[in-house]
Amino acid sequence: MTDKHAEKKMTDLGKKMLKEVEGGEGPTFETPLRTKSNTIYDDGIGCLRLGEKKELRKFLSVSQARTFMQTVAIAAKTKRFIKEELHTSIRGLFYQLKFSLGEDLDEELFSEQSESNALIEDLEVAMGVMREDLHLTTDRKGVVAGALKIRDKFAGDETVIDCEKQGRSGWMIPSDVDNGMEIEELEADWVLVVEKDALWQRLNEDRFWKKENCLLITPKGQASRGTRRLLRKLADKKLPVYCFMDCDAWGWYIYWTIKTGSMNLAYLGRDFAVPESRFLGVTMQDIIDYEFLQKLTIKAKEVDIKRAEEMLGYPWINRHKPWVDNLNLVLKTKKKIEQDALQGQRLTFVGEYVNEKINKKKWLP
Amino acid sequence: MAEGKDAFSHFQEHSVAEFFKKNRQMLGFSGKTKSMTTIIHEAVSNSLDACEEAGILPELKVVIRELGEYHFLVHIEDNGPGIPKQYLGKALGQMLAGTKFHRYVQQRGQQGIGISGVSMYSLLTTGKHPRITSSYKNKKLSCELSLDLKTNRAELLNLVEEDNPDGKTGLTYEAEFKDVEYKRSDQGVYEYLRRTALANPHASISITEPNGESSSFPRVIESNPKRPREIQPHPLGISAHDLLDLAHAQKENRKISAFLQNSLARVSANKVSELRTLVPDVDFDKEPSDMSWEDAEKIVQSFKQVKWIAPETDSIVPIGKEQIEKSFNNIFTPEIISVTERSPKIYRGGVPFMVEAAIAYGGGIAHAGKKGDMMRFANRVPLLFDAGGCAITESIKSVEWSRYGLKNFEEEPVVVLVNFVSVHVPYTGAGKQAVSTEEDVFDEIKNAVMEAARGVQRYISGKRKAHEIEGKRKAILRYVEQLSGDLASLSDSKAKDSLRQKLLKLVEEKYAALEAEENGESNSENGKRETGNGNGNGASEDEE
Repeated sequence: MTDKHAEKKMTDLGKKMLKEVEGGEGPTFETPLRTKSNTIYDDGIGCLRLGEKKELRKFLSVSQARTFMQTVAIAAKTKRFIKEELHTSIRGLFYQLKFSLGEDLDEELFSEQSESNALIEDLEVAMGVMREDLHLTTDRKGVVAGALKIRDKFAGDETVIDCEKQGRSGWMIPSDVDNGMEIEELEADWVLVVEKDALWQRLNEDRFWKKENCLLITPKGQASRGTRRLLRKLADKKLPVYCFMDCDAWGWYIYWTIKTGSMNLAYLGRDFAVPESRFLGVTMQDIIDYEFLQKLTIKAKEVDIKRAEEMLGYPWINRHKPWVDNLNLVLKTKKKIEQDALQGQRLTFVGEYVNEKINKKKWLP
Repeated sequence: MAEGKDAFSHFQEHSVAEFFKKNRQMLGFSGKTKSMTTIIHEAVSNSLDACEEAGILPELKVVIRELGEYHFLVHIEDNGPGIPKQYLGKALGQMLAGTKFHRYVQQRGQQGIGISGVSMYSLLTTGKHPRITSSYKNKKLSCELSLDLKTNRAELLNLVEEDNPDGKTGLTYEAEFKDVEYKRSDQGVYEYLRRTALANPHASISITEPNGESSSFPRVIESNPKRPREIQPHPLGISAHDLLDLAHAQKENRKISAFLQNSLARVSANKVSELRTLVPDVDFDKEPSDMSWEDAEKIVQSFKQVKWIAPETDSIVPIGKEQIEKSFNNIFTPEIISVTERSPKIYRGGVPFMVEAAIAYGGGIAHAGKKGDMMRFANRVPLLFDAGGCAITESIKSVEWSRYGLKNFEEEPVVVLVNFVSVHVPYTGAGKQAVSTEEDVFDEIKNAVMEAARGVQRYISGKRKAHEIEGKRKAILRYVEQLSGDLASLSDSKAKDSLRQKLLKLVEEKYAALEAEENGESNSENGKRETGNGNGNGASEDEE
């Protein structure tokens, strides 16, 4: 979304409220309910999104007045960021809005960042904008290497980044890949997402992305908003996305977040989900198929078991039989295996494993 | 012989002084502030009792002057009947003598030790004599009271006898004390007098403090309380010691059996026969004056095995509901007060008692700096010490105050008054500062307090709501300030001021409506509407 577009959305929100006041009513703000009960899995687009339930917040309601005032304060502040062409983090925004409301009143506009964070999300979903559009940055996380060139207009400069020429470190994916950022050239044929940075470095040293003409990406654990947006954009360019994670419920859930979005960020919907992505491994079946792995399993932790149980309860996951089988195996054997274990025999085996999986189409949906 | 006599008289002198010193604490002379309060307490109790007995509306004047470090002059003046010359020394200077002994009637003091102990304390700490002026009928006497420690007798020195032409009666007692301290604390003289005034609205009390400041608690009830009736002790309310005392003091009956029937309540000939079979080794036909300690103990034991009709309860005189209300309004002017009116009860099966409770909230209570204050009284006498082990304190603490809109009881501007009325108050110790926690007593106090609490509950919770709305309104006015600025900039509008005016108007209308609704609610009998006070949007508000 262009700055102009985002700014106009904010202005329109203000004008609508102004009109309500002129008409002798208290100003209101309508936002979809971001509750678990209003989170639905959309079969058509294959991702989580918010349902139809909405909440109308009124300034004249005793219990909502404060929240209402805070929401408008965030809207006004971010509009200013856009105008001034400056960016800040959500924490930076919090500090801009953390001030006392008056000498004789023991109350601040915002006292806790959790308050402003929640309202930023409300604003995003209510206005159909992303926080990045409002010049709010998040932490960068995630690295890419491969045949991708990006034109980056930033802080008055313009550079073309060649992701093939980033040496051992790769290009760090910024928090906002939409604004001031364009794909200049894309020669790679597919995308490999590797959960752990250590494996990414291993494959980068093997120049795996060069040999297989893919983009090698690591989210370094749970994928950031920037990484998920980049994956979405690459999928839009028809690149198949394959994911390679630890063989445990945590790793698998990272995959599912990339694929369908998370419960927390369901309001982001399809813009942050890649329903087309596929899961290469590591699976419980791999432990049987690759004999050497059997000695390299470790005991599943309490959190792994709990997460596996939760995942079995999610309708968008338990509709896939192979996933149910894998999750049940975790519960039964109480075992897990890290993707790092694939180097147990031979360091270069990791690449061979990925190729074999793709060639034999041994992936999970 | 001469030597022996000398030694004996020394021994005597020692014994009275030593008795006093050893029992200082028991008599209330422990700690400098407490000693001062005890001095005032003894004098004030005597004056009030004397006035009431003579049918005079009490008017008390207390003046305290500081003479040096821990050295004070106390001057107490009343408008009572005065004391005739022949009783003056006995009443004010002789230990364990007085009119209160051996009487089974609701009264302030229960022992004859009070003011004589004060005189003794004056002598022992300063070596000086109390100065007395007694206007009795048509005579006015002025003298010094000299205590003879050898004989436990008082002599009147420098006696001046004048005519009392205008017939104005009264007693003035003035004495110096050392080892005392004047403090305006919760246990000090000022608070003692304030509470005394609270429980005795028929009295007018004034005090001049050492710093020269004068305060007065005027009379609000123009009649003396009804005199409590003297009753016979009930078998279940008497101790072996008291029984023995009674038996030895009386002269009318020649047999124990008759003595029991004539001196105790509810004892009939049939009951005496029952007692005879219960304790066959006690001779009920001998002279009461021959009753031994063992006899008394056995008889009292046997009392507990017999079924008795409960004692009469009309011997008890409370302060009264209307009187307490007037009194509170006079001294504290609280926003609201609720007083219970409960019927007399019996404890230990044989002792009638009655509990009065009042709860006063807000207004002058807050101005007086009182927070969660418990004012304990026994027969209208303020109990300022030993709060910890007192049934009144325990009962009040055991109330679930959140149910009555007083969640933070100790932080609220509230005073809880409890007056325990009885012919025999079950004190925890000889200090007479705490009521013992017997089950019957504890339960009745708690019930009385809860009943009073119900009377203020609706008012307090209504007030809290109004207070909360006021707080919200104040906050929301600041919100308007913030919002009008943000909204103007968000909508690219330059009319921030007119926007603010419009928002203010909307908010004022809204809150006026809310308050009207609130008032309507608290006036209606049942204010139990929990939600939906005008938000009207129905959407869940627990989202953030």
